[in-house]
Amino acid sequence: MESATVAVGHGHADHHGPPEANESSRIDRQTLGILLFIVSEVMLFGAFFASYFFLRVVVDPPSWPPHPYELPVAVAGMNTAILVSSSFTIHYALESIRRGNRTGLKLGLVATWLLGATFLFIQVNEYVHIGFSARDLSFGSIFYSLTGLHGAHVFVGLMLLSFATIRAFRGHFGPAEKDHLGVEVPGIYWHFVDIMWIIVYVTVYIL
Amino acid sequence: MRLNEAAVFKWVVIVGIAAAAVIAVTLLTRPLWGALLGLVLVIAGCIYGYRWMEQKWRELGSKKLRS
Repeated sequence: MESATVAVGHGHADHHGPPEANESSRIDRQTLGILLFIVSEVMLFGAFFASYFFLRVVVDPPSWPPHPYELPVAVAGMNTAILVSSSFTIHYALESIRRGNRTGLKLGLVATWLLGATFLFIQVNEYVHIGFSARDLSFGSIFYSLTGLHGAHVFVGLMLLSFATIRAFRGHFGPAEKDHLGVEVPGIYWHFVDIMWIIVYVTVYIL
Repeated sequence: MRLNEAAVFKWVVIVGIAAAAVIAVTLLTRPLWGALLGLVLVIAGCIYGYRWMEQKWRELGSKKLRS
């Protein structure tokens, strides 16, 4: 309220509409927004991981995964490598635009999108051939819940990357910090999705 | 230094290396040892991450005061 009074009192008599927002935050609002969103997502994944460990410890089957089910560890490992490499390509895209290299930005974004789409395709293929469904024991339920939740996040990330890629090809981004937030915010989200998959892979497929 | 994508990318590398260590221990010994190492790394990561966040916040605060 005070800032509004001050803004009006400093010679903007012809100013219409609401007063300028007071930027008291130490971080720009887009980055703060995605970080807060990621914090809430960490809690969501935390709930699913808690369910996983609860089922694994409480049900306590003689083997995990329960006989006769088997998980395709090698294929999932290859998929993990694909997703981790996509973090490097999005990082390359952002480093490129920071140096004013628009071709590098486009190349990095397209490569990231293709790697993400490949990951999702392989995961869907894995679901088709894995030999059990979400209705098969609590193991099946929690397996599909955890990997499906992550897959949904990859899908959302791909949508965000699609918008960023289209904008990049239209020449929307520039080297200044505020001019490439449209890539930076999806980039942060993509890294989060990547980190989550590493944790899901180690927890579900390896341990 | 801003709190940006490059800072988050560093965490992808850290988590990747930690995961590789857990995978190696699990495959070489038993899943229990891998899980214990994972737990230790998660606790260490939380402490390191908290300190990292505090340092970032201080840097951002001093930058804001200068500008």
